[in-house]
Amino acid sequence: MSALWPFLVLGIFSGSVYGLAAMGVVLTYKTAGVFNFAYGAVAMFCAYTYWQLHDAWHLPAPVALPLLLLVVAPLLGLLLERLFSPLAGLSAEVQIVASLAVLAALEALAPILFGTQDRALRDIFPRSTVLVGNRLHVGEDQLAMLLITLASGAALWWLLRRTRFGTATRAVVDNRDLAGMIGVNGARIRRAAWVVSSIFAALVGILLSPSQGLDVYQLTVVVIYAFAPAVLGRLVSLPWAYGGGVLLGVTQSVLSKWGASGSVADVEAALPYLALLLLLVFMGRGLKEAGTTVRPVASGSGSPAPTTRRLLDRRVALGTGALVAAAAVPLVVSGPRLHDVTAGAVYALIALTLVVLSGWAGQISLAQFSFAGVGAFTAAHLAGSGGRHFLLAALVGMALAVPLGLVVGFLSLRLSGLFLALVTMAFALLMDNLVFNRSDVSGGLTGVTVPRPEILGLSLAGRVGFYELVVAVLGTVGLGALLLFRGPVGRRLQILRDSPLAASTLGVNLTTTKLVTFVVCGAVAALGGSLYGALQQSVTPQDFSFAASLELLLLVVLGGRSLVSGAVLAGAAYGVQLLPIPAGVARFIPLGIALGVLSLIQEPEGTLAQVRRETRRCLSVLRRLPGPPPAALPLQLAEGVSGGA
Amino acid sequence: MSPEPALELEGLTVSYGGLRALSGVSLVVPAGAVVALLGPNGAGKSTTLRAVSGLVRSEAGQIRVGGIRVDRRPPHAVARLGVVHVPEGRGVFPSLTVAENLEMVRTAVAGGVDPVGGAVELFPVLGSRLRQTAGSLSGGEQQMLALARALLCRPRLLLVDEISMGLAPLVVDRLFEALRDRAAAGTPILLVEQYVEAALELADFVYVLDKGRVVDVGEPADIRRGGLLGAYLGN
Repeated sequence: MSALWPFLVLGIFSGSVYGLAAMGVVLTYKTAGVFNFAYGAVAMFCAYTYWQLHDAWHLPAPVALPLLLLVVAPLLGLLLERLFSPLAGLSAEVQIVASLAVLAALEALAPILFGTQDRALRDIFPRSTVLVGNRLHVGEDQLAMLLITLASGAALWWLLRRTRFGTATRAVVDNRDLAGMIGVNGARIRRAAWVVSSIFAALVGILLSPSQGLDVYQLTVVVIYAFAPAVLGRLVSLPWAYGGGVLLGVTQSVLSKWGASGSVADVEAALPYLALLLLLVFMGRGLKEAGTTVRPVASGSGSPAPTTRRLLDRRVALGTGALVAAAAVPLVVSGPRLHDVTAGAVYALIALTLVVLSGWAGQISLAQFSFAGVGAFTAAHLAGSGGRHFLLAALVGMALAVPLGLVVGFLSLRLSGLFLALVTMAFALLMDNLVFNRSDVSGGLTGVTVPRPEILGLSLAGRVGFYELVVAVLGTVGLGALLLFRGPVGRRLQILRDSPLAASTLGVNLTTTKLVTFVVCGAVAALGGSLYGALQQSVTPQDFSFAASLELLLLVVLGGRSLVSGAVLAGAAYGVQLLPIPAGVARFIPLGIALGVLSLIQEPEGTLAQVRRETRRCLSVLRRLPGPPPAALPLQLAEGVSGGA
Repeated sequence: MSPEPALELEGLTVSYGGLRALSGVSLVVPAGAVVALLGPNGAGKSTTLRAVSGLVRSEAGQIRVGGIRVDRRPPHAVARLGVVHVPEGRGVFPSLTVAENLEMVRTAVAGGVDPVGGAVELFPVLGSRLRQTAGSLSGGEQQMLALARALLCRPRLLLVDEISMGLAPLVVDRLFEALRDRAAAGTPILLVEQYVEAALELADFVYVLDKGRVVDVGEPADIRRGGLLGAYLGN
């Protein structure tokens, strides 16, 4: 048995980078009120930029490094500040979606700008080693890592604690209005915070990329490790954030002593997410959300307009019509295209669960595809290798989703807004690492197969038959949801979203509503997952990863997060990506989606509302053309008023 | 020719979302004068002060401080003109120490000032609290700290919002004494106050606000005689 302490030392090195990232996250949260989910993406983008400057353009490190840290990273920080400052004071949900859209945009932009080829990374620091304590050889690169992170952290701490700028910054954190009244320019402080935070992200990116490789997804996700230490510091304390990062690194490193593979390795990989989940659960009530002082906002931004019963009746009628039309689609579409349409419809079913959860009940979830995964892998095992009937398998999948839905539901009783989003994200990443990645669950990288069902002696194995099954399920669930929303259930969901506090003072108990909503949405997502499995006939863990849930959220926001038709639009947007599109165009689609989300961020009815508004504007312009000139309008209005009086 | 008034509001209109808080408020604080703004809850008194400080945007009308328009400036730019606002509630930074709270004065005032020494001179009790965080002070001490910091900013116009709220009469007397000294030295003050007697005693002019409109103006004696105040404040 080798000694423990080399692992401790190595853990300190990797942990110090998590600590640096955690401080970057804390900095913008406390000064600008923005929890930057895109922090890892910023780090990744900066790492790519560095290798572009250094390896592709052959700039020497003493030129490339300052160029990155003093020009590129600060510019990126200023850009983010410009993006987020108009969102200050809006709901937590809007800000979460915005930073997730930034994450997606940067992930989409990196391959476009830097290409997708593998890069052989040259070392930034010499690889030679130094002897520590006569026994352990420590790489100079690792020592440099520790020194850089410690120096950055100390410099930031000194800046905040010992300078007038720092006092002003802490004053803004305490009370932004009061600081303004004393003459502190809050916008300047926020810009500075974003710049420093981005520089930290750039350091994190170039320190991590030699060990993690230059990979868009991997680098982005590794920085999520830093969220747990950030929460440990209650999202405000820099020393705690740094210390938490080091602690996490050490724990991970020590665990790695006992297992390079097997369940210990699984736990080691899942540890940061487990820590995040547990910290949120146990610190839940002590955490305070920053920047959610509700300010008066213009109507139509932030929360959906109240839905009248007549409007709902119209939607039910429209939905029935759409359902009939959808059932007739195989008359015009066939072959592989019908497969794509079916995939879009299955996606719409899963999207619908998110519309109900986040658009109607106001509970953001970044884990809907984890529930879908439960359904898919259950179907694979029972109906595939187990040889049971598909319907039974789907039902068992839904039943398995119930306890998981209860778990997330219980978490949501304690947490809301940002912290609910974080906890569902941690849940999704835990499902990825502890469940879906197990080869006995998912068959590893090759995946597992799911057969198509046969119902009442009717084989639905063909494309058309399976399509009609999916349409029937989607139609039933969609119309059912609309009809339920018309009644007392809908009222409860709206209360849950708009004013949980008022509800509790009126004696309305929302606990059951919340739990049932999470459970039902989870079960329906699981059903969607088993249908997805039966459609593809083969599923892999990647299909149900956190990234899939993230994409779902963005597409639902794009489609309209408070509308059933928004879910259908999300499904359509997903289906479009399956079409044979030239690669040159296809790689711009995710970027387009992310930018679309950013432009629609304040519109709960998504694209549809935008289209409706534009149509109305065009129509009114057209109508006005032959009419009286605009100057006559006020007169007409005045006449109308006096005539009415 | 009299000097420019310290503050002029002309037809000031402010809305929160769809709700109108002020509709066409006009008001003047002459140079060196103390003006009290009275009225029932929700009349728009605090909103008036917040609009002057740039914390809420006006929809229509003008705000001029010493003849300079400020209604489109951000709060920090208004503050740099010498407008100092003691807000409703406790106007301190709770997680900063008392000394750090006072050091914030240096952001507002250029040149050599000794904020800590000045504050201790005004309210000696603060002297023993300098290393404590402001959040750990008692309500009265917090208000003394807020007022000391405001006075040390060398205001050219002082806005004071409900400084007596929730405090013991003895402490209120102490705070009003400091205000009276400052008024005697010629600093113009716009005062919002529930404690009507103290306000009338200090003020040169009184505006009565109700539902976002000015319903009465006059010297304190006129206001007392008019009885309108009683109708609005119920005394």
